[in-house]
Amino acid sequence: MTVSTTDIKQAGALDAPPTPLEIMATVIANDLEDGQWVEVGANLPVPRAGALLAHLTHGPNMTVMLAMTKAYLRDVPVIEEFAFITDVAATRWAEAYYPHDRLLSDMRFRRRGVFFAGGIQIDRFGNSNLIGIGSDPRKLTFRGPGGIGTCNATLQNGRYHLVTTSHSRRVLVERCDYISAVGYGDGTPDFRARNGLDPQGPASIITPLCVFDFDPDTHTARVKSVHPGVTLDDVREQTGFEIQASDDVPVTPAPTPEQLELLRTRIDVTGALR
Amino acid sequence: MTAIDQTIGRRSVVIEESDAAEGLRDGMTIAVGGFINAGHPMALIRQLVRSGVKDLTLVGAASSGMEVDMLIATGCVKTLISPYVGAEGLAPIGPAFRKAAQDGSIDLFELDEAHFYAGLRAAAQRLPFNPWRAGLGTSYPEVNPRLKTFRDPINDEPLVAVPAIEIDVALLHAAISDTYGNVQHVGTGFGDRAIHAAADRTIVQVEQIVSNEQIRANPAATSVPGADAIVRVPYGAHPFASHGYYPADDQHIVEYVNAATSWLKTGSRSQLDEYLDRYLREPADHIEYLERVGVRQVLSLSEYR
Repeated sequence: MTVSTTDIKQAGALDAPPTPLEIMATVIANDLEDGQWVEVGANLPVPRAGALLAHLTHGPNMTVMLAMTKAYLRDVPVIEEFAFITDVAATRWAEAYYPHDRLLSDMRFRRRGVFFAGGIQIDRFGNSNLIGIGSDPRKLTFRGPGGIGTCNATLQNGRYHLVTTSHSRRVLVERCDYISAVGYGDGTPDFRARNGLDPQGPASIITPLCVFDFDPDTHTARVKSVHPGVTLDDVREQTGFEIQASDDVPVTPAPTPEQLELLRTRIDVTGALR
Repeated sequence: MTAIDQTIGRRSVVIEESDAAEGLRDGMTIAVGGFINAGHPMALIRQLVRSGVKDLTLVGAASSGMEVDMLIATGCVKTLISPYVGAEGLAPIGPAFRKAAQDGSIDLFELDEAHFYAGLRAAAQRLPFNPWRAGLGTSYPEVNPRLKTFRDPINDEPLVAVPAIEIDVALLHAAISDTYGNVQHVGTGFGDRAIHAAADRTIVQVEQIVSNEQIRANPAATSVPGADAIVRVPYGAHPFASHGYYPADDQHIVEYVNAATSWLKTGSRSQLDEYLDRYLREPADHIEYLERVGVRQVLSLSEYR
């Protein structure tokens, strides 16, 4: 790591207002509780930063999975960001290895897990799609990366959020073309029970503009808070489904000075969120 | 005391690289281990490509990388079983995978990582399927009708039946082995154990062949106890990482990604075929491959700088 915390402070970056991605990371951190189990993936800078922020501020008993290892990172002065989940340098804090086949077999402990899923599409009922776009699954017009482990992880972890860094009509759609991780399905009251799923679907959708939660009766996404400086009209303009919101929708809490300093000097020194 | 018959002895399973593709046939189910940008058996994969076998069912890793993308690009893959094909930040989606999927030229066995291991577990257990909880209410059973939903006979709950993923030959990369096929990985070993357990035959390429005493110094680290064949290929996972030895060669992976992206974007295979000829089809062996990459490039790769 060539960037030191002194460099950051001297550069005056601490005075800059929080960016939308830093606000998203803070939303994630504020939602996490000590004792939970959370993955810090590669190439997912927002959930990574949120999980590490919670670990540093109020999560000494959180289990952080880093590069398929069990890690405790509160004593690490600057937590390097790794480009690949397979980076060997990220295994140096391992207290245990999670061989991938075992990680995907041992499901009982995931009840205290919190998971973050993305999507090339996310719909108003909290379903998400990583499979692709197009009417014929054998000839998609856009082939996505594949569901990876999101179908399973969203079901097995005790809590999950949908996270997208692109709040647009292309991503936030009325209905997903395909569902790789299921939320509230078609929104009918018994959809999850009928499919053998626990009642709780996604807790929220976290975007650069706002946080959605889900109406407990209609299972429809509703604006829970808008980020500082964002209006409901901005959200309405960029969302592909009709948004539900009360006129006095609260503003998302911005990071505290302490949270912002931890983000910029220990978690995200290279500025992936800035 | 009965004399031990000295005419029979414990057999070495070490084979020559050039013999690794023996027994591979058209239409087989072949698995390759590793994970995204690490631990792929590239020397064995090049032997597979040069052998000309085709119509393969390819079982990639739970998250596979450009090794699977390259195999798709060569045209030997009929069916692909892998929940992800990409190179993380270097290529969020494998370009040849994307091209073939969008053209409909490969048959995709769409599944989640957990389904992947359930299928391997079923094969290892000699069962027709393993049940799994996730998948109901999603598009998986519709997009991939080989995943069946059923009601379990114990609690009458809806579940998904994942068919056994039975592998004819598994190709793996690991750190070390003794001459008897006692293989040890450095690091987690990803899903390689599960792939081995689901396979009739496992060939492992290793960075080093070590003494049986070295293996016995830490038997808990033996990840594949009894590979059918071992091939010694130092730097054999290049351009992917080999834990304990070298990191991924990002520059080389990007060279491939650019070549494959050119096929995806323009429909012209010329840049892609140039890459495949130069690095997969033409080199006579692993050493010639490394010569083409360049000693300076290979030896510059360092895990900790």
